[in-house]
Amino acid sequence: MSALPSALSQFVDKNRAASALFVVVAVGFLCLALQPVAPWLFKWPAALQIPAAEWIGAGLGFILEAFKPIARGFSALMSYPMAGANFLFVSTPWPITIGVVTAIGWYIGGWRMAALGLFGLLFVLASGYWVEGMNTLALVAVSVPLALLAGLAIGMLAYEYPRFKSPVQAVLDVMQTVPTFAYLTPLLLLFGFGPVVGLIASAIYAAPPMARNVLLGLERVESEIKEAAVMSGGTRLQQLFLVELPSATTQIMVGVNQCLMAALSMVIIAAVIGGFNDIGWEVLLTMRKAQFGQSFLAGLVIVVFAIIIDRMSAKLAQERSRHDKRVVYGIGATGVVISIALLLGGSLPNPSELAVFDAIADAVDKSLGAFTAANGANLDAIKNNIVFFMLLPLRIGLDGAVLPFTWGFQWTPDMSLWLFAVAAILAAALAYSGRALGAVMLLFTVLLVETGIAELPWLFVLFGVGVLGYLSGGRKLSILVVVLMGLILISGLWERALLSLYLSGVSVFACALVGGASGLLCAVSPLAWRIVRPICDMLQTIPLFVFLIPVLMFFQIGEFSAFLAICAYAIVPMIRYTQHGLTTTPHELLDAATTSGATAWQTLVEVRAPYAMPTILLGLNQTILYAFAMLVIAALIGTTGLGQSIFLALGKADVGLGIAAGAAMAILALVADRLVQGFAEERRKALGL
Amino acid sequence: MSEASAAISCRNVWQVFGADAEQKLAKALDETGGAPAGAADLLRAQDLIPAVQDACFDVKEGELFVIMGLSGSGKSTLIRCISRLLDSTKGEILISGEDIMTASKARMIELRRHKLGMVFQHFGLFPHMTVGENVAFPLKMQGTGKKERLQRALEVINLVGLEGRQEAYPRELSGGQRQRVGIARSLAVNPDIWFLDEPFSALDPLIRRQLQDEFLNIQRTLKKSIVFITHDITEALKLADRIAIMRDGAIVQIGTPADIVLKPVDDYVAEFSRDVATGRHATVDSVMKSGKDINDKLKDDPGLRTDMTLEAALASCMSLYEEVPVRDEKGNLVGTVSPNELAKASLQLEADK
Repeated sequence: MSALPSALSQFVDKNRAASALFVVVAVGFLCLALQPVAPWLFKWPAALQIPAAEWIGAGLGFILEAFKPIARGFSALMSYPMAGANFLFVSTPWPITIGVVTAIGWYIGGWRMAALGLFGLLFVLASGYWVEGMNTLALVAVSVPLALLAGLAIGMLAYEYPRFKSPVQAVLDVMQTVPTFAYLTPLLLLFGFGPVVGLIASAIYAAPPMARNVLLGLERVESEIKEAAVMSGGTRLQQLFLVELPSATTQIMVGVNQCLMAALSMVIIAAVIGGFNDIGWEVLLTMRKAQFGQSFLAGLVIVVFAIIIDRMSAKLAQERSRHDKRVVYGIGATGVVISIALLLGGSLPNPSELAVFDAIADAVDKSLGAFTAANGANLDAIKNNIVFFMLLPLRIGLDGAVLPFTWGFQWTPDMSLWLFAVAAILAAALAYSGRALGAVMLLFTVLLVETGIAELPWLFVLFGVGVLGYLSGGRKLSILVVVLMGLILISGLWERALLSLYLSGVSVFACALVGGASGLLCAVSPLAWRIVRPICDMLQTIPLFVFLIPVLMFFQIGEFSAFLAICAYAIVPMIRYTQHGLTTTPHELLDAATTSGATAWQTLVEVRAPYAMPTILLGLNQTILYAFAMLVIAALIGTTGLGQSIFLALGKADVGLGIAAGAAMAILALVADRLVQGFAEERRKALGL
Repeated sequence: MSEASAAISCRNVWQVFGADAEQKLAKALDETGGAPAGAADLLRAQDLIPAVQDACFDVKEGELFVIMGLSGSGKSTLIRCISRLLDSTKGEILISGEDIMTASKARMIELRRHKLGMVFQHFGLFPHMTVGENVAFPLKMQGTGKKERLQRALEVINLVGLEGRQEAYPRELSGGQRQRVGIARSLAVNPDIWFLDEPFSALDPLIRRQLQDEFLNIQRTLKKSIVFITHDITEALKLADRIAIMRDGAIVQIGTPADIVLKPVDDYVAEFSRDVATGRHATVDSVMKSGKDINDKLKDDPGLRTDMTLEAALASCMSLYEEVPVRDEKGNLVGTVSPNELAKASLQLEADK
């Protein structure tokens, strides 16, 4: 018997991670076992909660009230450029607008970009949403320069004064992780109803990517180029503006591209607060009226704008050949000539008269109606099966989800005991055969499924997060994540946070499975990648909001639709990073594997996959962040949890709740981000990359 | 080597990286009684990096001074101290007698605009400017008018053999051509002091040799005072008037190419010139017999001079066996040498190593 302890200690040494996680699972079961005697282990006592939302509301309300006059002044000030841009975009005769955009397209990227601009805008014209579209563009046109200037200034500041760098980066992190809806509420109070709120919100949302890219670009300028500027006798300003900024142009253009896309996305989201006849509002309105054909059409207009803006501005960041300026002027002039001709003929058609797709939209509506009527049972079956047998058990556990009218029988505590017993035996067998991590994962899964994510004991979650933090990034990270999660716990938002965690967790899990498999497929089959790649490009260009339209068309409002929308948006990075990671193994490694006699499959499993691990983990990280971003937007079509709270807060102009729930959401995203980054970093170090 | 004729003068220059470098260096020097090696060890023990330790040397007017060392030996750091791209931790650096370590920012800009030029290993060309604009950039900083500076740029572009390429962008040029642009840019303001940081290391061997030859040609006409960094002993021996060899931050030997090859101070320096054909770098005066009783009635006189390399001397007395006279530049008899010894010197030296 004396061999056992030493064997055990050896085992523990070899499986540090597994044994640490085993303790976590043990704590979980302990909480479960002690629930009857000590319910406070399970549920954080209400007496120990602080009314964070009220406090924040009161505190912020005071501050906001103080700044209100300034904000309102700014609001009034901004109404001039807004009105100007609006006038410019809407009252410019449409042939001129189309001509100018086509000409710009030609100048940037030759006939391909020109065609994109021409046909894209013709589509917008034909859709009947020209005026709404131009209103949206006018908002973007005012908010983007603000965001660009702010981003440039912030990026340069962080670069010039290194001690500002880490605070600036922390602020940028917060600006990007706090859900967009969350800061709409205080902005609403500050600036009052109207398009200016959308403008400010989109400028706030779009400035960070610009700032990041400016900073990155400046830092990446070769040190010798900087030194050459010094040795040429340039003053600091000359060095910065004549050498360093121009040398960083490519990276800065990437920032401009991201800034434009973020601004467009946010302008459309901000339509939720209404008050402006723009395209986002149109989508929302038609969605509420269940006119899915129209709403789909309006969504397509947004997609067309997004593609035009994205592709053209992305082209700016690439090395490009110069295109003949005479053609540029020629195209622009053609637009002017057509306008004048039409005007002189007294018949420049009003854009709204040119809508040719209304019939199609109606047809889409009708056929969709027919389709859902015909296949309603099937659609419902898909939905119900997934909801009842997958989503619900994960959310509230088998003990809550297994009911006679869905599963056909009632879950009893005895069944739980049997389940745990079987799991324990299996886990013991696994551990005995050396797969300790597998054993722990099995126990963990069983615990999760029996209890449900939304009803996990707080002690277990906190402890688990702490241990994961320790394994991923050491003591410092462990403390950080526990403190952050603890804040949510005492703020009284815990249940809602767990609900959000559940929905995003399930979506991320589905994305990881499906996306990982697709990425793998794309890595081994170039044909598959040729098909999947444009789909990924497309999904990444579409503003968040538009994802809601198709899922609503088929599955109505509810958690399942939200789940689908989140997955559709968040799956892209998983596919991309998996494919990228698996296909960028250095040639020497592959050659070495081949000459060692490895089959293609062996090479994939033994060489490519381990080498790709850090990249795949980064993809997972992105997927998690995407899922959290979409989670809040999906609140529009019915989710519970923090997203819903944020959305409700917006409706009631409840700043405290909005900010508190937004902060809780940001904390969840931040914790997930740091944990996965930590593991990715650890893998990278282990591989010596 | 009087102060007056020194273009650059380094006195006890230290560059230490790490927190509180200045205080810790002062303390370390205190504790070791000013011994550089001991102080460096003390600093390393505290996790600081003494990248340059107690560097002392002068570069004379018009001299081509090469600093040679392996990567990490501190040579690039040292040239950045001298050009004040880095502020040295301790010491004194004089350029034409002016202490640049205490010079103001404005004065440094002034110096760089008129007196200093620098060439970089990876060229450091501005990617958004044409060749012409790159070369004219230092002149633009001086405030020279556009027409004038483009004209001057053309002159230097022609000097480095890039006629007609002034409209090209750096990305359209080959590595060799890019470095020609770098050289042209550094010469645009006609500086007195010329820093070259491994200018030819990133180029392939053929282009490297070609550029070395052209560089020597340019230097012969311009007579700049040069600090040239390299990790390549052949390049150092070929170009240098004098060489400083660096190791782990310290200068281990300063001398002419012949000194380095023939009288290495330690095994480390000897190891460098191990594969160098001695006869090609050692000169006759290193093996000749001199003194009062020179035999001036020798039968053969192949015309040996003191500054001939052993190889060349050996070639001109191929069929001779008797002692031959050696003369200096002015033709005065200064010593004798036997062909036998000449041959032995180069062979034995190589056998020694």
